[in-house]
Amino acid sequence: MSGEVLVAGVGAHPWGKWPDKPQLALALHAIDAALGDAGLGWPDVGALVAASSRFEGGMGWGLHANEVAQAVAEQPMACINVGGACAAGVIAFHTAANLIASGECEVAIAFGAERMPKGFIPRPPGGADNITDSDYLRWVAMGATNPAYWAIEAMRRRAEHGTTDETLARAAQLMRRQAADNPLARFRDPLTIEQVLASPMVADPLHLLEICPVSDGAAAVVLCSPQVARRTGARTARIAGSAIGSGAFGDPARRIPSIASTVTGGTIHTSEVMSAARIALDRAGLSPADVDVLEMADNSAWHLLAWPELLGLCEAGQADWLIDHDGFGRDGIAALNPSGGFLSFGEATTAQALLQICELVWQVRGDAGRRQVEGARVAMSAVLGLGANGGSVVLTA
Amino acid sequence: MTKAARAVADGLFVTDGEVAVLLGARCDGCGSVYFPRPLSCRNPACHDKRLTAVELPGEGTLISYTVQRYRPPPLFRMDDWAPYAIGLVSLGDGIEVMGMLSGFELDHIAIGSPVRVISAPLYTDDAEAPVHTYQFAPAAGQ
Repeated sequence: MSGEVLVAGVGAHPWGKWPDKPQLALALHAIDAALGDAGLGWPDVGALVAASSRFEGGMGWGLHANEVAQAVAEQPMACINVGGACAAGVIAFHTAANLIASGECEVAIAFGAERMPKGFIPRPPGGADNITDSDYLRWVAMGATNPAYWAIEAMRRRAEHGTTDETLARAAQLMRRQAADNPLARFRDPLTIEQVLASPMVADPLHLLEICPVSDGAAAVVLCSPQVARRTGARTARIAGSAIGSGAFGDPARRIPSIASTVTGGTIHTSEVMSAARIALDRAGLSPADVDVLEMADNSAWHLLAWPELLGLCEAGQADWLIDHDGFGRDGIAALNPSGGFLSFGEATTAQALLQICELVWQVRGDAGRRQVEGARVAMSAVLGLGANGGSVVLTA
Repeated sequence: MTKAARAVADGLFVTDGEVAVLLGARCDGCGSVYFPRPLSCRNPACHDKRLTAVELPGEGTLISYTVQRYRPPPLFRMDDWAPYAIGLVSLGDGIEVMGMLSGFELDHIAIGSPVRVISAPLYTDDAEAPVHTYQFAPAAGQ
C-alpha cells in the first residue's frame, strides 16, 4: 500500500445460534457498532466491501454489500463483494485498505455476516457432478469431511513430532480459558483435559471439543485515511502490513476439498496462508519474533500446534512443549488467540477473519479488558479459506 | 442377474477384477504427475503444460490416516454404514492420494504400511447396480 491506512473502529455481533435474526440484522448490528466506535456515520462512508461468498466460484450464500446499503443507507458508494471462503473477511479488509491507500475514498467498511447450517459443512451448490469438481469427488469417493483432512494432518504430526492426545486437548483447553473473558464468544465454560478427551472421537485423533463447530455471527471494520482520523480524533490502530495469498505449486498440505496433491520439495505447508503472512510482516518491516498477539484460524487443535511453527513464531516441533508449558498464554512468547479462537466461537465463515481483526484492534488499543495482553504492540492475523485462499494482517498501536 | 458394477465417478479409475487403476496424467513439459486428470498442468514455471494420460502405480505407502467416526453428509453413500478409515497414500513421483482403507483393523493402522489399490463396492444404486470406489488395502503378503 502506498498511503497510510488506519482502522478507525470495529464491532461485532456475539457468536451463537440466532435462528430469529436474519444475516442482514447481524450485519447491521456489527456495522453500527463499528461506525459508533469510529465516531463516523453512513454519509462519511465511500465504500462498502462485503465478505460475501463462502466458497470459490460465487457459489455461496453470503450477503452482498448492496443488500446492506439498500437496507440502511441508500447513497452513492462503491459496493464490492469479494469471495474467498473463510478467508473472505481478510480479502474484504485488504480490498478496503487499498481503496483508501489509493485515494479512491477516505472511509471504507469491510464486513462479514453469516448464518451457518448445522453439522458438517456440506458441498456448496453449483458444482459439476464429475471429476472436474474436487468437492464432488471427496464426498462420493470417500466421504471425507473437513475434520478428516485436519485429522490426517494431526496423525502425521503424531508420527513426526510425537504429539500426544493430552497436548492436543491442552490446546483446546487454552482456547476456552481465554474465551471465558470474551463476551462475544459462544463457548465460554472452562474445560478440563479429561472433558476434552472424553468428548466423542470425530476423526482420530481429533475429538469433538478439538474441532471448531459452526456458528452465526457478524463483524465489521471501519478503515480511514489519516486525515479523517485527525478530524474525528478516533483512537486508531495502524495497518502495518496486509496481504492475501493463494496456494503455491507443490504444497504438502492436505487441502480441502482436493483428494490428491502433487507434492514437490521446498514448498511451505499451507502456502496460501504462510506466504501472505510473510508478505504482511515484510510490508510492516517486522519479523515473527516481534508478534505479541496472533489471531489464527484454529479449525482444530492441530492447527494451534502447526501454524505457530509455520508462521515462524517457534521452531518446527516446538509448539507441543510451548502448549504444555503455557508458552502461548497471555504471558507466553506470543499470545495465541486471546479471543478464544474458532474453537470457542465456532466458525461463521465470511465473518471470521474480520472478527480476528476486531480482536487485534482491541489488543493494540489496550481495550481488551480482562483478556488484554500486557504491552501488546504488534498483533497479527492468519486465516485460511477453502479453495487455497489465505490472508494475514499486521496491526500496530 | 447381477448388474455390471460402475465407478463412483467416470474417469477416476478403471477396474480389473478387484484391482483398481487410478487414472492420472503426467505433464509433457515438467513431468509433474496429477490425479485425477486435470485440465492443465499447475506448475507456474512450466510453459508446455500438455498432459499425457497415465495409469498411476498400483502400490504405495500409507503416510497418514484417520478414522471417520460419524456418518458424512448424504452426497456420500455407503450401504451398511460403519466407521471406516481414510488414508493418505504416496504413490511415488510426488503424488499423494486420499482414499478409504480396506482390510485394516481400525485400531491397528500403521503409518508406513505398504498398500495396494483395489476396487470395492460402496453401495447399490437405484437401478440395483453396485457402485464401486477405489480403496487402499494392505499390500500382498502383509
